[in-house]
Amino acid sequence: MSSTQRFSLLKSEDWWAVWLGLFIFVLGLGKLAGMDLLGWVVKANVWTDLSKALTPVSDAYKGMPGILSLLLTYVFMLAVTTIGAATMGWNLKRFMAGFTIIFWITYACWICGNYAYIAATPDVLAKFKIPWSLSLTGEAGFIVALLVGLILANLFPGVTRFLQEAARPEWFIKTAIVILGATIGIKASESIGLAGTVLFRGFCAIVEAYLLYWPIVYFISRKYFRFTPEWAAPLASGISICGVSAAIATGAAIRSRPVVPIIVSSLVIVFAVVELVLLPWLAQGFLFNEPMVAGAWMGLAVKTDGAAAASGAITDALIRAKAMTALGIAYEKDWILMAAVTTKVFIDIFIGIWAFVLAVVWCYAIECKPGEKVSPVEIWYRFPKFVIGYVLTFVILLAIGLSSPDLVKTAKAGIAQADSLRGIFFALTFFSIGLVSDFRKLREEGMGKLALIYFLCLFGFIIWVGLFISWIFFHGIHPPVIKS
Amino acid sequence: MPEPALQKPLPEEEQYVELMPAEKKLIGWSLGLGIVLLAILILASRSLS
Repeated sequence: MSSTQRFSLLKSEDWWAVWLGLFIFVLGLGKLAGMDLLGWVVKANVWTDLSKALTPVSDAYKGMPGILSLLLTYVFMLAVTTIGAATMGWNLKRFMAGFTIIFWITYACWICGNYAYIAATPDVLAKFKIPWSLSLTGEAGFIVALLVGLILANLFPGVTRFLQEAARPEWFIKTAIVILGATIGIKASESIGLAGTVLFRGFCAIVEAYLLYWPIVYFISRKYFRFTPEWAAPLASGISICGVSAAIATGAAIRSRPVVPIIVSSLVIVFAVVELVLLPWLAQGFLFNEPMVAGAWMGLAVKTDGAAAASGAITDALIRAKAMTALGIAYEKDWILMAAVTTKVFIDIFIGIWAFVLAVVWCYAIECKPGEKVSPVEIWYRFPKFVIGYVLTFVILLAIGLSSPDLVKTAKAGIAQADSLRGIFFALTFFSIGLVSDFRKLREEGMGKLALIYFLCLFGFIIWVGLFISWIFFHGIHPPVIKS
Repeated sequence: MPEPALQKPLPEEEQYVELMPAEKKLIGWSLGLGIVLLAILILASRSLS
């Protein structure tokens, strides 16, 4: 990382996630000043009649055709992301063409996922006059987007290469998380005790993730798979902490060759997709009566920010649907997702500290080089900047909710509009994760041993230790129940 | 993400060195601290709830 990149507020996806997220957040807050600045944003509805699948998010725009609302949303998102892409120096023609294709395919997938036979929950079957449904909620569209992305990535590499410039799952999800901070902040103001509990226990859980996962994976890599420290450290961070960011931060901290974290990262992405496809369904099967355990489990077990938040969203939808069917309980939306994201955000914050610890150990005890020193400012360099945006939106909405309860209803309406864009960023993340997940990499020369240790550690103990820790800190805690 | 240069060198080709004392210390301290903190944090979360 060059010093220019380190200090620039306009040259990294991380900072641009903050700017985009805050911009959308501020537009959403326009409601508080009586301005409906995002009311035209499209919203996908559960449908049996396709003409009713799309509507603007605000009633103030109810006369606007859904397709026009979608077109305006596309133009808005293309404009704001292109400004970011231009400032970061990306190939603009490729980005705009790629983003256009990605946006329309993603939204088509989302509309498919909202088909009533797939998405309708049991309480609305009568409204749609259908006898049954898979009850997956509208988030099923995320899974459709992921599957289409995976098919393109693995069967049509030429198309994938063309779309590569705009397939940015980490940028999309970090932007979504900044906006999510506002949604969670306003909810937290109404259930402050529960929000505090989730924050504290999320912190507890990640301390354990670092201190227990990492040394075990490192030891197994070194002792039984006979990797050198240069490979074992990024691999341990990639498998046990937070995937791509952790592998890259660790690689930089121990001064490994650039190829090492890149290879580890490609494995992380592939396995994160496997987890994303498996774990939410597993959680729905046996954790529907412990929803917050399920959410924290996604944050602890699923690597990469994109896949973890995506798993949290799917788990949120699946468990709420199952709780309604099996227990007759309607949990409030997004609390399970909050547990996943909170855990993940704490993990991200600690990457910098852990990378600093490793840099010190490597510099002074493992690969001692004369005159080499490690500065604590490295912690700031590795700090995930999008967390600043998440905390800002969370705290601002929490403060508004606590200090002016009469503004909560208006603030909620404004944030709901911003949240529609957050949903689109989520959907773009799913499709982009699929696009960057090339399973053929596993067949490439030399990847077998890395993939084997990744598989053994991930499915042998990381997922289960993560479940154990999530259970310890989150069992017995439930999201608020919708009274009606 | 750019395609990684997978050709060389991958771990199989490199010289293995036994676990060094500093690595053993790092593993031991991390695990030990993790287990102690686990107990403390469980107690803290129970007493706060």
